[in-house]
Amino acid sequence: MSSDSQFCHEKGLAFLEARSLTKTYQVGSSAVHALQSVNFTAMQGDFVVINGPSGSGKTTFLNLISAIDRPTQGEVLIQGVSTNTLSERQLAQLRKDKIGLIFQSFNLIPVLSAAENAEYPLLLQRLPKTERAQRVQAILSEVGLADLGKRRPNELSGGQRQRIAIARALITRPKLVLADEPTANLDSETGAQVMDLMRRLNEEHCVVLLVVTHDPEVARYARRQVRIRDGRLMEGEGS
Amino acid sequence: MQLKTSLRNVFRNRRRTAFSLAVIVVGFVILVSVLGFVGEALQSTKTSLADETGAVQVGSEGLFENSSTGYDYLIPPGQLEQVVAIVSTMPGLVGVSWQLNFAGLVGDEQGSTLIVGRGIVPCSDVQAYECIVSSGSPFEETSDREVILGVALARKLGVAPGDRVNIATGTVSGNFNAATVVVSGEITYALEALEEQLGLFPIAFVQRLLKTDGVERILIRIDDVDQAEAFAFELQQHLQSASIPLVARTWKELNPSYASIESFYGAFSGLAMMGIAVLVFFSVLEVLTISFLERSREVGTLRALGAGRGRVFGSFILEAAFLGIIGAILGALISVALVLVFNAIAFSWIPPGAAIPQSIQLQLSPTVIIMPILTVLFSTLLSAIFPSWRNSRIEIVRALQSV
Repeated sequence: MSSDSQFCHEKGLAFLEARSLTKTYQVGSSAVHALQSVNFTAMQGDFVVINGPSGSGKTTFLNLISAIDRPTQGEVLIQGVSTNTLSERQLAQLRKDKIGLIFQSFNLIPVLSAAENAEYPLLLQRLPKTERAQRVQAILSEVGLADLGKRRPNELSGGQRQRIAIARALITRPKLVLADEPTANLDSETGAQVMDLMRRLNEEHCVVLLVVTHDPEVARYARRQVRIRDGRLMEGEGS
Repeated sequence: MQLKTSLRNVFRNRRRTAFSLAVIVVGFVILVSVLGFVGEALQSTKTSLADETGAVQVGSEGLFENSSTGYDYLIPPGQLEQVVAIVSTMPGLVGVSWQLNFAGLVGDEQGSTLIVGRGIVPCSDVQAYECIVSSGSPFEETSDREVILGVALARKLGVAPGDRVNIATGTVSGNFNAATVVVSGEITYALEALEEQLGLFPIAFVQRLLKTDGVERILIRIDDVDQAEAFAFELQQHLQSASIPLVARTWKELNPSYASIESFYGAFSGLAMMGIAVLVFFSVLEVLTISFLERSREVGTLRALGAGRGRVFGSFILEAAFLGIIGAILGALISVALVLVFNAIAFSWIPPGAAIPQSIQLQLSPTVIIMPILTVLFSTLLSAIFPSWRNSRIEIVRALQSV
């Protein structure tokens, strides 16, 4: 935690940049522009909410930022390195070490327990078992689920599942956490709890937190809001 | 955790896994039955042939090469004694016997027909003719002017045990000789053509009939037929050291048809293995393809978290390996149980090319179990390669959009 706090002092540094980011899908003979020349910058410790109506390009934007998809044009730079220059293997490495992902439907692995789900990214990093166990215990305590580690996802409530998903996203201590509609499948009370947790983690871990949502309640938690409409990004507009 | 995850995934859809396992187990059981039967059939044929000819025979080269004239090939009593003395010192020996065969005529005042006469040592440890006497009685040690006729020959002559028949043949010096013998019994024989001509006689009688004190061949029975080559080799060396101008031949050399029987069974086993491999391959392929495609979203999640394609591919292959291993273990257990039950019900048959009936048992050797294990594992893994590869190559975004 101390190293995170120390790093967070460098809040003025640009961690993430999107330059002229464009994504075009070919549907039959016509081209669909999901994202058009988007420019975006996030500083270390930023908590940004990206909102916009359905089909506006929010998830496409998140996919490109998280390096699980490649842009048609433009580039994404993470700590100054363009993802366009990275191979599949290097992109996997980048996601594994620097990016935490939170999905709308939690996307937990059903055959793994809550603790094992949270532990999975550490396995990919080949950390020793004892260190993995310590980190899992710590992160589960942090998200308030220390006693439920042995439960399978289907034995947890929606809010608990999303907390496990958050734990999984944060366990590798990533510098960038991307959440796609993290409260969409939760009731408002649980959604508020999850967002409280995310804001706290953003502050304590000093990660760049990008949350895609069309829920105005979620937008309240952010320090900065951007809006995407028809594939174009507009800075500073709330929903 | 990868092992744990793959193992848990195997049991995720129990009905589907049960179907895959059932296919593997059924294939396994069929394969064990086929290989067990083939193994036993070959062993029975081998044993039966070795019972008939002896595991090793000693005779003159001219006899085995069919290049003698007249009775040149006969072994004089002195050499017989020497060979018996040598063989008696060799490990693995069960018994020694000798034969003197002749061709002649058999009949009565109604008519006569050809007979292939075989002079044998009554009650020897080498040939168990007693067990194939279908009517009448086998020879006793004191038997002399008696004959056991092939059932077909007895039918042809219209005689039965207790009747008398006349035997006529040429002596070793080329003169004519004849005698009257009592039909002691009848035997069945695998080759009907031979059964129509075969007659067994006490060797002492045949020697008197042919006016010789020699024998044609020495038959040796050993405790392990598979050691016949080694036994024959060692015996040959002893014969050469003792300057005895005789050669040793194994049952396999004396029964060249065994090689073709072995090839036939080999091809049969190979086809069965291939058939089962194809059955398991396509059944498991279908199940794994559906099972893996249903988990595309999970694959997308793991890939998004940073898992490489190799890891995803490996986890699916591992899952298929678990399926194959579990199927093989179940298959082995069920097969062994079924084979033990089958073997407990003692059937008997006369294997191809053999004369003496053998009990049908399904063999339970390491090969019979290991070959099906390898076959189902190979098929299961092979069937997993394509769906695993396809799933590991799926685009992450598309995989995450899967329902």
